[in-house]
Amino acid sequence: MTGVQNKTPLTHGIDIDALKREQAGSNLEDETIALEVEKLDLYYGPKQALKGIDMQIPQKKVTAFIGPSGCGKSTLLRCFNRMNDLVDGCHIDGEIRLHGKNIFDRDVDAAMLRRRVGMVFQKPNPFPKSIYENVAYGMRLAGVDKKRVIDDTVEWALKGAALWDEVKDRLNDSALGLSGGQQQRLVIARAIAIHPEVILLDEPCSALDPISTLKVEELINDLKDRYTIVIVTHNMQQAARVSDYTAFMYMGELVEYGNTDQLFTKPVKKQTEDYITGRYG
Amino acid sequence: MSTPSYKQHISTQFNAELEDVRQRVLAMGGLVEQQIVDATRSLMEADSGLASEVAKNDYKVNELEVYIDEECARILARRQPTASDLRLVHAVIKTITDLERIGDEAEKIARMAIDLAGHDRLSEGMIEVQHLSRDVAQMVHDALDAFARMDADAALACAREDQVIDREYEALLRQCITFMMEDPRTIRRVMDIIWSVRALERIGDHAKNICEYVIYYVKGKDVRHLSLESMEKELRD
Repeated sequence: MTGVQNKTPLTHGIDIDALKREQAGSNLEDETIALEVEKLDLYYGPKQALKGIDMQIPQKKVTAFIGPSGCGKSTLLRCFNRMNDLVDGCHIDGEIRLHGKNIFDRDVDAAMLRRRVGMVFQKPNPFPKSIYENVAYGMRLAGVDKKRVIDDTVEWALKGAALWDEVKDRLNDSALGLSGGQQQRLVIARAIAIHPEVILLDEPCSALDPISTLKVEELINDLKDRYTIVIVTHNMQQAARVSDYTAFMYMGELVEYGNTDQLFTKPVKKQTEDYITGRYG
Repeated sequence: MSTPSYKQHISTQFNAELEDVRQRVLAMGGLVEQQIVDATRSLMEADSGLASEVAKNDYKVNELEVYIDEECARILARRQPTASDLRLVHAVIKTITDLERIGDEAEKIARMAIDLAGHDRLSEGMIEVQHLSRDVAQMVHDALDAFARMDADAALACAREDQVIDREYEALLRQCITFMMEDPRTIRRVMDIIWSVRALERIGDHAKNICEYVIYYVKGKDVRHLSLESMEKELRD
């Protein structure tokens, strides 16, 4: 999408060509690619859930997956940090490369991968511990034991997740006492505390009220300066609001993928048009 | 001054987008104002060079209209604005259409100026044309000012100026008719003057439309096609 912050200044002479170039927006070809999916097929037992997915996820951008229930968008998202390894009878063909390295290679440790590719789920799932401990937990697992470092990182992560001001006076209270929206931001803080490269969000706002939703969306917008973000959402308006690129999936296939402005104003495929305009039959 | 409502969203990105599109409209308005001033000056001073410049620059106004339209479509698609945000985007889309037409009228005046530059100048009547053009330029300026501040009262005051313009226009027409009756050889030149004066009067109407969109944004009331008295009443209610 057009970066509003970087617009041509308004001077006496208006450079219309520059304006048009800005408006044309970004293209996948011009992006640095963080994740590359190639010929990905996924089967749950005999049932094929993903069919020949080829796509590239750009770095430090927000990419949204939309589509009807059961279209495979969450399944695809879970492939990015191998959460599907935990599903019985799940079989995957094809490759997903994180900065060139296939994550399905035998020498890739799933725990290490998940440290680089963090995930936030639909329902906020804080640990039944204090707010502080929730954020510190991942660091302790990663072997950080200096209290000073942990203190600083907890503050940094909570600030990054736009939660610090609301919880700074009660860091030792139980995280379960926070509201749903606060819990979700806490979980995001927990994810960024271990400095992942990619953050996967699986319908992060579906359990939140509209205002908390907008706060999380604003947070996503802030976070994309530092992280590659992939979000699955049932709410296409949310995809339109937060993402730079949008992928529309249907029945396990990637139907259309491109610049969000383009997809929501001039979709190429009729299926996409029907879905986003609510003409879905 | 309190922060305008379109800058108070939780989403800073949305704030920035609305502010940006508003700024673009003002930039387009500035360009159009300049076009009017240059076009009428070229007419007064029989400066065909300046007039050609105006005619050439009209494409900038057109392209800005297309650009801002596209931006508005993008905001509608991505943000689904409601209430005052929706009215703002709506008002912007309408305003730029009128600005583009004002640009076209300025171009028309410039073309008349090129035509007239090849003939002897009419000494009489031109001073009135100058008055009218100054009033019209001022009215466009006031309309844009009301838009910039989203000030409904200023918009109403500006809409009222249109009456003065219409009266000046009537007077000028009568004067032109007299010239033509006195000396039919001037008909061709006087006709060009009439077309220019007509263009100025139309610019006044477009400026009035912009004022109506400002009132629509601020008050949420559609005051198009109402008399000034009814407009005032709507504003007070």
